[in-house]
Amino acid sequence: MSFVSVNIESATDSPVKLTRRALAKQRTRERVLAAARRLFSERGYEGATIRDIAQAAGMSTGAVFASFADKSELFEEILTADYEVIYAQMTQASRNAKTVDEALLGLFAVAYGFHVEQLPLLRASIAVSWTRSEAAERRARTDLKHIFRLIGDALQRGVDEGQLKKDIDAKLLAEITWDVYVANYRRAVYDGWSVEALLARLSEQLKVIFAGARA
Amino acid sequence: MGVRDDQKAATREKVLEAARDLFNDVGYDETTIRAIAERAGVSVGSVFTTFASKAEVLSHVMNHRLTELYAEFDRVVPFLRGSTADRLCSIFAIHYEFETRRVKLFLAHVASSYNPNNDPGVTPYGRNPRLNQMLLDVLAEGVRKGEVRAELDLQLVVDTLKAAYAWNYRMAAAAGGTLPAAEMSAVMDKQIAVIAEGWKPR
Repeated sequence: MSFVSVNIESATDSPVKLTRRALAKQRTRERVLAAARRLFSERGYEGATIRDIAQAAGMSTGAVFASFADKSELFEEILTADYEVIYAQMTQASRNAKTVDEALLGLFAVAYGFHVEQLPLLRASIAVSWTRSEAAERRARTDLKHIFRLIGDALQRGVDEGQLKKDIDAKLLAEITWDVYVANYRRAVYDGWSVEALLARLSEQLKVIFAGARA
Repeated sequence: MGVRDDQKAATREKVLEAARDLFNDVGYDETTIRAIAERAGVSVGSVFTTFASKAEVLSHVMNHRLTELYAEFDRVVPFLRGSTADRLCSIFAIHYEFETRRVKLFLAHVASSYNPNNDPGVTPYGRNPRLNQMLLDVLAEGVRKGEVRAELDLQLVVDTLKAAYAWNYRMAAAAGGTLPAAEMSAVMDKQIAVIAEGWKPR
């Protein structure tokens, strides 16, 4: 599986023919994003200033602001790019599965595999998510909605195929599943758990959550 | 305790109180050690002789609060009535009620537990043995009363409950910090009901 996000490394060539000006602008963005990704990972969100990021990218603060309105926009762009990389794989993992548990474990395995590799960035993104602005919260919810739809689809297939009861509260079950999925990252952060350990735990937690919902 | 120790304890108390109010009203990231010292009426230097960093101040503020909360629980828990699920609902409702009194403080505490470079003097959110033990005790009693399946891994159930509990605060975070505790408790009650459906002996 390849997890190369569009802004981890600067792209070498672009399929679309761009004017020289547009090309230069795109390169600047990519340089800023690559520097920002590194600094957010090293210092956390609060610890990395626009000034530091500009310096690391070898440009002026003004040049950074020409591409991004503020630090939160820069940070969100990194997270969105990552999210786009894993979303397609999560979808595929979920659709190829034969049971509800397989589908949920499959899609979260993709997420754990990706985020555990870059834990410092994940820590920063979770930290920010607790205190961000309402506008940033709304934007983040749009991404989350897609993931919740994936979970919802998996549960619906479980109902259709007779694995789950017909009268389950799918929204509530999806929420609890998401809660334990995210909460488990604490084990990776504090106890150094591997992807396999996280998935084994999640698998046990799904049994607890779905015990009353099985048909 | 000598005069010096008394003074030190008084400074500590004043600093924690000032920090608690500033973190909640102004925000954790926005509050400087200087501002805390000013509000507490002590020198910046004396804050630093007591605490190594702002993160440590936050940790001690929360610890202080939890001591109060769990003293309350020691009085209340023996009198909780109803099924295992009912008791758990009450315990979480009391937590939501308590934390929403200063919800931004609580959100900052959760957020900072994910920040890199945490000092060794800091007890991050989620490492609270009191809540864990309380929930385990209630479930164990549920097993004794035959309400909860005996072969269940109770710590696993506790982990699931705690995850749901913590993540319900996202509702408060999304609402910019103003959300009645009852709204979070209502969701938690439903989540407990779902999990309780699964722990019934069959």
